Amino acid sequence: MAGELQKDPVSRGQFLLLGGLGALVGAVLTIPPAVYLLDPAIDSVLRGRSDVPDVWRPVGSVFEVPGGGVRVYRVEFPQRQTYDGGGELLGEGSITNAVLVSWRDGELPPLLEGRERGPLSPGEIRELSRRLNVLSNHCTHLGCPVRYFPGRNEILCPCHGGIYDINGGYVGGPPPRGLYRYEFEIRRDGGIYVRHEFEGGKPYVV
Amino acid sequence: METRRGPARPVEDGEVITEENVYERPDRPMAFFPGQVVADLTVSAVLLGVVVALSYLVPAPLTEPADLSTTSYVPRPEWFFFFYDQMLMFFPGSLLIPVGGVVIPLLFFLLLLAVPWLDREPGHSLSRRPFAAVVAFLIVLAVVLNMLLTLVRILNFPQS
Amino acid sequence: MSSNRTRAARLGRSALDWLEERTSIVSMAEHFLYEPVPSRGRWLYTLGSATLFLITLQFLTGILLLFYYVPTTDHAWDSIYYMMSQVYFGKLIRGIHFWSANALIVVIGLHMMRTFLSGAYKRPREMNWVVGVFLIFIVTFLAFTGYGLRWDQEGFWAWEVGVMIASYTPLIGDWVVTFLLGGDTIGPASLSRLFAIHVWLLPALLAPLIGVHLFLLRKHGEFGSEFEYSERLARLRERRRLEGYAEEEEQ
Repeated sequence: MAGELQKDPVSRGQFLLLGGLGALVGAVLTIPPAVYLLDPAIDSVLRGRSDVPDVWRPVGSVFEVPGGGVRVYRVEFPQRQTYDGGGELLGEGSITNAVLVSWRDGELPPLLEGRERGPLSPGEIRELSRRLNVLSNHCTHLGCPVRYFPGRNEILCPCHGGIYDINGGYVGGPPPRGLYRYEFEIRRDGGIYVRHEFEGGKPYVV
Repeated sequence: METRRGPARPVEDGEVITEENVYERPDRPMAFFPGQVVADLTVSAVLLGVVVALSYLVPAPLTEPADLSTTSYVPRPEWFFFFYDQMLMFFPGSLLIPVGGVVIPLLFFLLLLAVPWLDREPGHSLSRRPFAAVVAFLIVLAVVLNMLLTLVRILNFPQS
Repeated sequence: MSSNRTRAARLGRSALDWLEERTSIVSMAEHFLYEPVPSRGRWLYTLGSATLFLITLQFLTGILLLFYYVPTTDHAWDSIYYMMSQVYFGKLIRGIHFWSANALIVVIGLHMMRTFLSGAYKRPREMNWVVGVFLIFIVTFLAFTGYGLRWDQEGFWAWEVGVMIASYTPLIGDWVVTFLLGGDTIGPASLSRLFAIHVWLLPALLAPLIGVHLFLLRKHGEFGSEFEYSERLARLRERRRLEGYAEEEEQ
């Protein structure tokens, strides 16, 4: 079976050919696959692009948000992932997020008290925008869905006990920061619109 | 290549035993077949029986379809990640979360890899390497205690 | 009657000889089956073979599950529900995959404990311990990714929390999380990647490492605990003592 091993000397030409061809084959078999796999990371981290196009989506109306509580809405955003590229041809996917909407410190703004539904003036819109919280419902620790507890007037995370106040500010537990706040705008008819953009960071799990 | 047939004798006559070859062959060997094969098959058959019985008695779970926008679901780790999940409780804030979530598990992995070079005591029996025994005991204790803590946490915050 | 039997035996033997000459399968099987192994550890050593058995079950049932599973966010859950409720023995195949995965974690844990407690990682078996540590980590990741493939609330959220932990990796957290999600949000690409990792990437890493693990096991033999070698150790001590006397007499 196993005879004597035969060790022929490697000539200079053979050595260079082995090295050159080896490097070439190695490069073709590693670099394109790595870039291929990291395509989403390159798009997102280096080029700052998102799967969710920059569109405003309706959430609800400022007249529906109660004082002393949190109202939860579901918002569907278009999502270009896997299905992207053909536009009309391939269509679009979608991603649905839960959005927590509340008034600052849970206090109904005075100008809304006893006010009928109706067009808002620019001054009123500015005042309400300062007082509205539009929060992602994913805990900033590990992304678990948080929930509002009326008795404690706090937003709690069921996973590791993160605690936030009604404005989404950090109160206690392991989370590194307060809840992510959606970019929103209030329109003349009182409608709240959000974009899939967040103040101060990217939550990923949305 | 020499072919060994049947159980070899424990110590061959005239074999000089040195520090080098003392652990090469155990005292009383048996042939892999049938002795070991029968034992292996017995355990495998028992495991298969348990697994088949469980798959009908406790069918593999399938909860509600995934919903990213849920507001009422309480995420839970698998039982074998309980200790890890509990560990995350002890590392709050943006500076410590990477330590508890990534750095410590990585260090633990490297520590496991390095075990043969950390414990260089030539003896094999546990009583002759008390340090390794104590470290192993402490690690197992930490894992079990953390699992129990997670269980308590889960019982205190049931799925609504 | 008896001549028939001898003729059949001769025919069988010549067939085996024919195979042996071309593939050496008979001598390989003999070498494999009649290897001397320590008799005292018999039942402890079944932990390793039980692990191998359960992993083989995982491969088998995993392949079977692929005949029905659909790895898209729209249909993953439905296809598993269909498999469980409509397909003959669907409950059994998925049950085996699920429960033997759980059993695997337990048995691997015990196997590792046994190896540690008996000091079986000591020279010359260090590399087998290292391969084993890689194996247990691959199996853990397999269990974790398989949980997510169900795309039900339980598996989805456990996977989601795992991905978020990965996002805290120092320096490259953003790269890791976008790589795993296939984008900067959870979507269809996330499930595709989960599927590719669970079904192809990790098993492709696992299988050759299992081969190396078994090769090293056969090379160095099982076990290493001192009680297995008491007779040989006694002979060693005896020889050392005699050498000591001889040295003293010379002086």
